[in-house]
Order: sequence, then C-alpha cells, then structure tokens
Amino acid sequence: MLAVPANASAKSSAADPSWRPEVSERLVKLPAAYLKKSLDRDFAQSELGVAIEDLGDEIGFKSQTLSDLQGAIGKSDGEVRIELRHQFLAEKRAYLELVSNKHALRRKHVVAKKRVLEALIQRLVQDELAMTPARQKLIETQVNASQRFEATMSAVDVKLLATSAAPNSRYSREYGKNLTAMETLIRAIDDHPMNAQPVIEGQVVTKGDYVRQLIADTDAEIALIQQGEMILGYMAKLIALDATKLSEQVADAERIDSDVTDRTSLTSAVDIFIAK
Amino acid sequence: MTKLTLCACAAAACVAIGLSPIGPAQAGTLENLERERAIFIDTLLDPDVTPMERIEKVRISKRRLVDLERMVLRDKSLTGRNTPTVRRAFENYDLTFLVNASTERNVSAIDAWLAEIGITTQSLMSAKIGRR
Repeated sequence: MLAVPANASAKSSAADPSWRPEVSERLVKLPAAYLKKSLDRDFAQSELGVAIEDLGDEIGFKSQTLSDLQGAIGKSDGEVRIELRHQFLAEKRAYLELVSNKHALRRKHVVAKKRVLEALIQRLVQDELAMTPARQKLIETQVNASQRFEATMSAVDVKLLATSAAPNSRYSREYGKNLTAMETLIRAIDDHPMNAQPVIEGQVVTKGDYVRQLIADTDAEIALIQQGEMILGYMAKLIALDATKLSEQVADAERIDSDVTDRTSLTSAVDIFIAK
Repeated sequence: MTKLTLCACAAAACVAIGLSPIGPAQAGTLENLERERAIFIDTLLDPDVTPMERIEKVRISKRRLVDLERMVLRDKSLTGRNTPTVRRAFENYDLTFLVNASTERNVSAIDAWLAEIGITTQSLMSAKIGRR
C-alpha cells in the first residue's frame, strides 16, 4: 500500500498486541503533511491498533452497563438494592481494569510512535550533517557551472549551428519536448494537495520542524496518559471506600435484624441473681 | 473505484516510479563524456590521419560531445557526489565542457584545450629543440 511506511511486526500474540513501525526509506521521503496520516493508518491496521479499538468498544458497553445499574439502584430498595450496589461496585472495578488496560496499550502506541519519530529525525539530521564543507563547495561549483551553461547555451547553439556541429541531435530535440512535459508535471506535483508543505499554527514549516512537533505531541500525550492513570487511581480508591461503606452497612443491618440480645454486660445479668 | 482498486493503482504507480528514470539518473554520463573527449583529443593530435579524415572524425565527435556535455550538466545524480572525478570535472569547467566552453569563447576546441593545459603559441615558439 502506498501510504504504509513501515510494517508492523506480526510476531506478537493477541495477548500482547504490538506495533513496531520502522523508519523505511519511503517514510523518510514521504511528504511531511502525509507522514502523520501514514503512521496513523499503519497503526490502525496493526494488532495494537485493533486491540485499542476493541477495548474502546468494550469500555463503551461497560459504561452503558454502569449507567443502567445506577438507574436500577435508584429505583430499588431492600436486599435487591444492596445486591445491585454490590454488582455496581464489581462492574466499576471491571470498568477500571478495562480503562487501565487501554491506557497501557495507548502508552505502548505513543512510545512506539515517539521511537519511530525520533529515528526519523535522526535520519533527517544525518542528511543535514552529510553536507560537509567539501560537498557544499562541490554543489556550489556545480550550480555555478550549470548557471554558466544556461546563460551561454543559446549563444553557443547559434554558433554551433553556424559551424555545422549543430546541436540538432535527437537528444537536443527530444530534450526540449521532454522538458516541457516535465515542467507541466512538476507544476502538477507542486500543486498537488498531498504534496502540500506542513503547516503548524498557520505557518509553513520544514519537515524537520514538523517531525519535532509530532514528537512534542507524543510527549504531551504521554503526560496526559500519566494523568489519566492518576485519575484511575483515585477512582479505584473511591471504589474501595464504597465497598467498605457497603460492607459496613450490610453488617449493621444484620446486627439490627438479629434476635440475640446483648448478654455481655453485667447489668443485664443482675436479674438472674435476684431471688423472686 | 473501490478501495482495493485504488490501492492497486497506487502500488502500480510506485512500481512505475521505481522503474522510471525519474529516480537515480543514468549512471556514467561523466565517464561517457570523458571517454568521448579523450577520443576527440586523440583525433585532434593523431598524426596518422589525413586532414579530411580528421575534419570528418572531429565533426562527428564534436556533435556527440555537445550532447554529452549537456547530459552531464543536467545529470542530477552528480549533484553533491563528492568523488575526486566529479570534483575535478566541475573545478575545470573549460576542460570538461570543452566544446561548450570553446564555442562560448569563440576559439577552436584544440586551442581551448591547449590553452587549458598551458601550451600557448608563445610557449611553443620559445621552445627549443634539444636532447633529453
């Protein structure tokens, strides 16, 4: 597929879904604006992407169950209410497990994405570093040669025509035609929406800047996942407190309903010792 | 068009890009130019050919050189290829692109070549015949 820059490894099992994108040559050369979409598509097709999608569905169903149970508790009383509250707590715990699993997989995704983006930026930096002073000088010489050639080409052609060593070869004829066709195609490529330069906050940026922005976005996502995990921790604490409270309430109710009188105090035993 | 067909089209386009000359440019343009220029200079200096043969050979060789020089100057695969051959070629524009440079300067190719390697009429006239 054209857009897929790297292949996810198929080694992982369903229990431990993974996404292992690699920095292929095609990914390096891909237009920056298309880079994120391409990575996202590759991830969506991976085991990890499918697993997160499935977990999202499960969490949605679980939320619905919790809402239903909450509604049912409000309408019930007595033992049924206690039973429903117990079930509600169990479902809440199951919900937290699902969300926690999803967070773990999301973290895995973001870490893999960050790894591939960092490798990509490394490749881009290597290309920049490859521009040594000697190479830079050579390119300047080549540009000067090309400019000199372009500037004198027409005059040279006229002189060569006059001296019969005309540049009227097949190469010269076809080159002109092909050049026109190529310029048309290059214009079409430049205007193509998929070849648009990446934009951050309305500013056109380089590919390096764009990749660095993506890395910063993954850092932000990791921080948000960490925050989500803290929220999960607080939710778990609340479930524990609710469970304790329910347990106390059930124990109190049992004690109140009990027929057994409290015979442990001495004053209650006084009657036994008094002769009637 | 279905998604599958679109994917197939994209894949076919990729294959086409891989096979087309848009990728790495044709290798060896500089080597071809240098070989042709060597033959050209050899023809100019060959004492065994008649003047008419020389004129005809030079005419054919010059036509080929015109094209080859342009191919080298337009060869994107040479841009930034930091090898001694490429460096030397572009540092000595007047020698490498002999026909273009000599026509630009309104001198014959042999005069331009001799001037570039440091042999002038003056140096020839002041040379002395002696035993080595």
